[in-house]
Amino acid sequence: MTWDAFPFFALPAALCWLIAGLLACRARPVHRLAIELPMLAGLVLFAAFIAAFWHTLARPPLRTMGETRLWYAFFLAAAGHLTWLRWRDGWLLLLTAVMATAFAAVDMLDPESHSIALMPALQSFFFVPHVVIYILAYALFGIAAFAALAQLWRQRTQPADTHLFAFMDEAAHIGFGFLVLGLLLGAVWAREAWGHYWAWDPKETLAFVTGAAYLIYIHLRAQGRTDKLVAWTLPVAFLLLLLGWLGTSLFPGAQGSLHLYS
Amino acid sequence: MTRRIWQFPWGYIESALFATGIAAAGFALQLTVGYFDFYLLHFPANLVALALLLVLIALAVRFENTPFVRWLSGIPCAVALIAALLVLALYMTLTPQLAHPPAPAAAAGLIARLGFARVTASWPFVLLYAATLLALGVTVARRVYDTSRHPSHHTPRHDFAFLCNHLGLWILLAAAGCGAADMQRAVMYVREGETEWRVFDRDGTALPLPLAIELKDFTLEEYPPKLALIDRQTNTPQPEAAPAFLQIDPARPRGRLGDWEISIDEYLHEAVRIDGEFRASPMPASTPAARVTAKNLVNGKTRRGWICGGGNVLGFYAALTLDERHFLAMTEPEPKRYASDIVAFTPSGERIAARLEVNKPLTIGGWTIYQYSYDTAAGKMSSYSGFELVRDPWLLPAQIGMGIMALGALSLIGRGAGTQRAGTRQ
Ligand code: HEM
Repeated sequence: MTWDAFPFFALPAALCWLIAGLLACRARPVHRLAIELPMLAGLVLFAAFIAAFWHTLARPPLRTMGETRLWYAFFLAAAGHLTWLRWRDGWLLLLTAVMATAFAAVDMLDPESHSIALMPALQSFFFVPHVVIYILAYALFGIAAFAALAQLWRQRTQPADTHLFAFMDEAAHIGFGFLVLGLLLGAVWAREAWGHYWAWDPKETLAFVTGAAYLIYIHLRAQGRTDKLVAWTLPVAFLLLLLGWLGTSLFPGAQGSLHLYS
Repeated sequence: MTRRIWQFPWGYIESALFATGIAAAGFALQLTVGYFDFYLLHFPANLVALALLLVLIALAVRFENTPFVRWLSGIPCAVALIAALLVLALYMTLTPQLAHPPAPAAAAGLIARLGFARVTASWPFVLLYAATLLALGVTVARRVYDTSRHPSHHTPRHDFAFLCNHLGLWILLAAAGCGAADMQRAVMYVREGETEWRVFDRDGTALPLPLAIELKDFTLEEYPPKLALIDRQTNTPQPEAAPAFLQIDPARPRGRLGDWEISIDEYLHEAVRIDGEFRASPMPASTPAARVTAKNLVNGKTRRGWICGGGNVLGFYAALTLDERHFLAMTEPEPKRYASDIVAFTPSGERIAARLEVNKPLTIGGWTIYQYSYDTAAGKMSSYSGFELVRDPWLLPAQIGMGIMALGALSLIGRGAGTQRAGTRQ
């Protein structure tokens, strides 16, 4: 399975997710299976493509931007589904469905060349957990950022929604746990591959910036603050995260980063 | 009741001014004495500094009911310090950083003199780092002290999460700071069949190294290369904006490049060219070659022939002319793995034979030896191998800190916002 086959999996999967998201947002409630089944079907289809793609490449599909977008779309949809199971926020399900579709669409419109090469530095036990855990954290932070924007929208006219703040906290804390775990795995790996666990490589520096931004949110919330400034930290932190993930190569400071692979 | 500025209890304004003040003091120091010299902190100075820090923390716990200590171990101070470090780190991503602080004479221009040429070796950064270490240390110590006297203040699970996150980070930050002063690294190049024991650091001074390394053999494996359509005029892969490549993959012998359907009729991973013919041969100079058929999907024209990147032998090079505009060529193969078979000798007369690979270093006597480089122009015919040697006596405490932090991260994942304190204090 290569990128050629991707649309045959991604299009039906995205359709399933969008249907589930729209149904979840309907004013008249539908049976929960009408939402959960398409959600699951989309996830299974998407996972099947990733698995088959991995098999064909004979290396983990985590090297290129397009490949990480693939996982991000999957985790967004998965996290959205789990969130819906626990919090029953229909609009969030729709939002994650739309975002996952957008990421899959980029991969469909601009497919990458088939490439089986995996540079020696990436041939490590740590490669898969390091990257997968990061992408999982990114998905949770994406959801937290959108929840925060909804909170800010509400706070223009009304007092803060504590239910929504509780949800933002949940996503931010779990996301931060994964971020730290991904960071630590990366540190252990860097020590094994490059001889230092932390060297302020541009990508590492951006990870530090991202982590610090989320720490600010976590500590402001530990104080119980609910003002708009607190809600703003989540979208701003997510923006920094996106810069570090998608834009490392754009940063003047990032030329010569050890983390630039393709 | 309104509180005037600097009147206790301090809040965010005082905390922000405090962090700014530390940075300002750092900039003043930076302008007068130049970049922070981590060598000043080398063993045992870093132990002394650490002991001093612990004394300060103990003093803070002793006077924990003063408003100052309450503030120092409180959230506004923590947020201000984290934010200040964030700003410095953000600057680092925006401008290229020097690998080492510039010599005082070379640090021309205000930006470089203020420490921005290498932020992590600048006084503002070092002072903020130290202040964070102090504030974090006092926070942890006070929490431990508080729980030991009033176990009912927090649930044990709550304490566990808090302690793992903060104590783990404190140990890691302390060990990383000390390690920055004591870490030694050097690069050594060894020719095949020879033994080397001299290494030089970046100033060119020989380092005392208790090791000699003999390189028995250097081997390199390559991936099958890719094919690309090249413009005959500009010699660039097409399409210009986003070049497309066709991976040679035995599992997929057919593919498309532009208007051409390409099929790989035969692929030799190790080929040599003899009398114009490509043959499989494991000779050292061998290089990948492929016999392909290219069919134009627009006009049906077909081209056949051998393609080879050439490797180290100019005469092996072969490309396939397709039409007036394009020819088909092979990219340089990418390395799949490279390894050095070495023997390391220690002063005690020990001989340790090992195979070094990327991601598979060897540790002897406190030094870790890494496969670092080779002659990339020569590829698999490289006659030497480069090793990086690293010694970090503070690695173990750093790893312990990371292990504790991992537990903290797991409790964040498991409990989510439950790690947050219920209700508010402050
Ligand atoms: C891995 C990094 C960190 C994580 C995951 C983390 C997480 C947390 C959490 C969840 C709380 C609220 C829990 C509680 O009060 O029991 C908290 C409180 C706090 N944190 Fe952190 N934190 C981190 C780093 C830091 C740093 C670097 C500082 C200081 C510079 C700091 C200072 C504080 C303070 C002062 C409190 C309030 C404690 C209290 O009043 O009892 N934290 N942190």
